[in-house]
Amino acid sequence: MTIGYIQVRGGVTLRASPAREACYRVVTDQSDMSKFADGSPEHRREMLHGDVNEEIQSLEIAAQSLADFPDAPWEIRLHLARQCWDETRHARAILRRLEQLGGWKGEFPVINQEWGVVCMFDSLAGRLAVQNRLFEGGSLDVLRESVVLWGQWGDPTTAEVLDAVVADEVAHVRFANEWLERLKTEDPRALLKAIAAMSAVRAWAVALTPPGAVMEHEIPVNVEDRRDAGFPLE
Amino acid sequence: MFLNVKERGDCVATFRWIEVRLMEMLAAWVPTTPEMEVKLVFGAHVWDAAQHADALGRRTQELRLPLHHSLAPSAEYVGLLSELAATSETGRRIAGFYDCVLPGLEGSLRDYLERVDPLLDGPTVRILERIMSETARMVDESRKLREELPAVQLDDAAWLDGLRRRQASLTAAIPVLAQQAARA
Repeated sequence: MTIGYIQVRGGVTLRASPAREACYRVVTDQSDMSKFADGSPEHRREMLHGDVNEEIQSLEIAAQSLADFPDAPWEIRLHLARQCWDETRHARAILRRLEQLGGWKGEFPVINQEWGVVCMFDSLAGRLAVQNRLFEGGSLDVLRESVVLWGQWGDPTTAEVLDAVVADEVAHVRFANEWLERLKTEDPRALLKAIAAMSAVRAWAVALTPPGAVMEHEIPVNVEDRRDAGFPLE
Repeated sequence: MFLNVKERGDCVATFRWIEVRLMEMLAAWVPTTPEMEVKLVFGAHVWDAAQHADALGRRTQELRLPLHHSLAPSAEYVGLLSELAATSETGRRIAGFYDCVLPGLEGSLRDYLERVDPLLDGPTVRILERIMSETARMVDESRKLREELPAVQLDDAAWLDGLRRRQASLTAAIPVLAQQAARA
């Protein structure tokens, strides 16, 4: 059973969505996602609903890489397997919190663009560079900002859940960074594939962004966790 | 007569092969299974199977084989696993994995434990005991999953019976154990 391909905004071809239950409305364009007033109850639930789907996509990407690259070094496969477990725990914990706040699975549309982008690459180095280094590296910043935001909204319980998630994500970024670093000497060709994958994603990001969409504010860099995850300090 | 070092190494390497295959099977099912709760159970058990494979792979090196050495089981058993891996219906995936393959593997591990000196092969015994305990937890979690989500209960008992019968008939799934049984 294989998952095919779809063409989306800007003529970009992505992997089609992984399987979802009928209760979900899966969209392929960011402009079809729900928008609510900042800090409103709906906005908070939509954030958590999106976080659950992000965690599930991360699980699916790690699992697909285990299935697709049987000859990868065992050490990396072991890290990917551990990541699978971590992402299931994150999804469960965030869903539990969403339900405590009155939300439910399928309450809002979901988009599986990370999966669609990452699973276009046919090398493990490319996938780890994009998913673990670029996307999960970025999520270190986003999640840390969310922890602060939920605290400001007077919800330390959700802030605590998200803080635990960020702590785990550091390890996922770190093992990818360490492996990519080793490729410099052990397999420079694979490293080139990783670099090419990251360049492709930057180009797609522009094509996939709906016209008029602007970054509402600059997300602060999570210096501590990025340093622990193996990013250079400068 | 107990299994010798060479035979034990081959068995452990075969158990490792099977755990890696189970890990890959669950991993491949994660994106293609629609039900979120099932996806999450499969994803968590990927890590269990990986840890089992890792412990067995470290043990192969202590039994005069390379680190993480793997040895394929019989072609018939490989075929059975491939067929199960190719199923797409969630109920069959769960039942085939947790009600047939895992209990079958546990039976092979028990068979092995009966054929070794627990003192001389103590490290393997500990590893297999841990695997059996965790396998029991995995099966229990699959039972709870089906209680929580009755829609993923298998509605084709004959299919599961057929799979179990086929697995039971594969006496040579672990070649070394089959050879020793034949000698006895």
